[in-house]
Amino acid sequence: MTANTAAPALPGGRYGLRQACRAERAKLFSIRSTWWTLFVTVVGTLVVTVLSTSSAAHHPRGWYQGFDPTNQSMSGLAIGALAIGVLGALVFTSEYGSGTIRSSMTATPRRLSFLLAKLLVVGVLALAVGEMLTFSCFALGHAILGSSPLPAWNLTDPGVLRAVVGSGVTIGLLGLMGAAIGAAVRRTAGAIGIYAAFLFLLPLLLTKMPGNLARFTPLIIIANSIAAVVRQGAFVSPLVGFVLLACYTVAIILLGAAVVTRRDP
Amino acid sequence: MSSVISVNSLTKQFGNARVVSNLNFEVVPGVVTGFLGPNGSGKSTTMRMIMGLDTPTSGTALVNGKRYAELNWPLREVGALLDAKAFHPARTAYDHLRCLAYTNGIPLARVEEVISIVGLTEVANKRAGKFSLGMGQRLGMAGALLGDPGVLLFDEPVNGLDPEGIRWVRNLLRGLAAEGRAVFVSSHLISEMALTADRLVVIGRGALIADTTVRDFTALNGGDAVRVVTPHVERFVAAVRRAGGEVDLVPDESVAVRGMTSAAVGELIARECLVVHELTPVRASLEDAFMELTRDAVEYRSAGSTQGALVGSGREGEP
Repeated sequence: MTANTAAPALPGGRYGLRQACRAERAKLFSIRSTWWTLFVTVVGTLVVTVLSTSSAAHHPRGWYQGFDPTNQSMSGLAIGALAIGVLGALVFTSEYGSGTIRSSMTATPRRLSFLLAKLLVVGVLALAVGEMLTFSCFALGHAILGSSPLPAWNLTDPGVLRAVVGSGVTIGLLGLMGAAIGAAVRRTAGAIGIYAAFLFLLPLLLTKMPGNLARFTPLIIIANSIAAVVRQGAFVSPLVGFVLLACYTVAIILLGAAVVTRRDP
Repeated sequence: MSSVISVNSLTKQFGNARVVSNLNFEVVPGVVTGFLGPNGSGKSTTMRMIMGLDTPTSGTALVNGKRYAELNWPLREVGALLDAKAFHPARTAYDHLRCLAYTNGIPLARVEEVISIVGLTEVANKRAGKFSLGMGQRLGMAGALLGDPGVLLFDEPVNGLDPEGIRWVRNLLRGLAAEGRAVFVSSHLISEMALTADRLVVIGRGALIADTTVRDFTALNGGDAVRVVTPHVERFVAAVRRAGGEVDLVPDESVAVRGMTSAAVGELIARECLVVHELTPVRASLEDAFMELTRDAVEYRSAGSTQGALVGSGREGEP
């Protein structure tokens, strides 16, 4: 600080998405809850995949009629789907809950930049975690079922790579959905509750109703359309599933953006 | 000197409650401007509107001629401590400041620097949730100073500080102003403002009451008085009135005389041969002036009509 100068000259340019993303990345990895949630996401998914796939092994050959080994290997993703949404929601709700939001919004006052930076960071992280998980799940499933009387199956088999990569992408989308719900709701408990209801309760309610609407809900799309190699007739195709999931994500993000830009912190 | 904060017809309405009402004032560099008002008078909301956290219902709050959100590098132009808990409890002080630094391209060396300025070096790697209120205030101060800005806003910065901390804040604010920065600091503690501020913006119920210097504010409001305790109240009052002085009867049996020096009052008492138990010159404090002004709308209006430094506006808009 120099005496009698109001402030040093400002550098050129202006703050923007690049600076905001860097800050959001640093924020995400500087609190312990991020690491805990990631731990639960990864370990929960892998453990469930191992347990459920192990119980599917050791059957006589005839049992595997119509069996989808890729889909079986992805069974743990139900846990990952819940945990990644919690991670996403916390990205916003922890700021509103603690008052950090006021520091953040004075540092990045254009609220869309702020929102976009958070979504980019959490989206990229969720996508990376998702791909890592689905490939790990596939490898684990392959190892466990390899000792079963099942015919050999590989990533190069038709539809397998699409199912594995696609399932990873859905984890990225779910992370974004969780974050956008967090932005709209602001409270951790509320956001996680709504996210879990959207994921798990909605399909249960819809299966009780006529019209098989449950097949359009996110978790059913992931489990039966995207993560499936052996096509099941009652469910939407992988492509339609993707389009639907993307639409849900965009819609929830628009809702979150409307709240963040219009409602003062 | 040109103003760096300029508040123009600023109004904020929450539902039916008008929290800030047609507020106009300027903050200039090189001095500490105190923002004084009772709790709930709209100080924090005004500051939040200047910082772009609350959207004004009408009017504008400009910093360096721009709305806050339009600044190129907000943290390098304006620093603010608006609330002592604006950090995540699980994040360390260093990480909190590091994240803020990234948003405005501030070098990390500056993070270490502000941590040492506010005296948090030893706890920089502790989680901020473990901090006392005073340490939280210091962390907030560090955040405000991070971008080395020319404009600084502090909302009740001495809350929760011990006497040493209060003195530290006072010196810091005065030092920042002496460096040519604009310092805008709110408080409900009049005594604190008397020690720290040069200029005063006084608000009550969201409306501007006075925009003046500390010295003029005290001189114009209340004025000095002489307090007299006597068993001959009636004779004394009559004598004072004959001599052209004004009298306030105070509940504790004493009499406050205005418009006369203590010497004149003493001579009057001698001439009238009165018994006096006590004769005390009372200097008007900023506090008295403040109480006088904010007591209610009617008193403030009548004061405003005779005293030029006072600004009468805004009360009409009250719900």
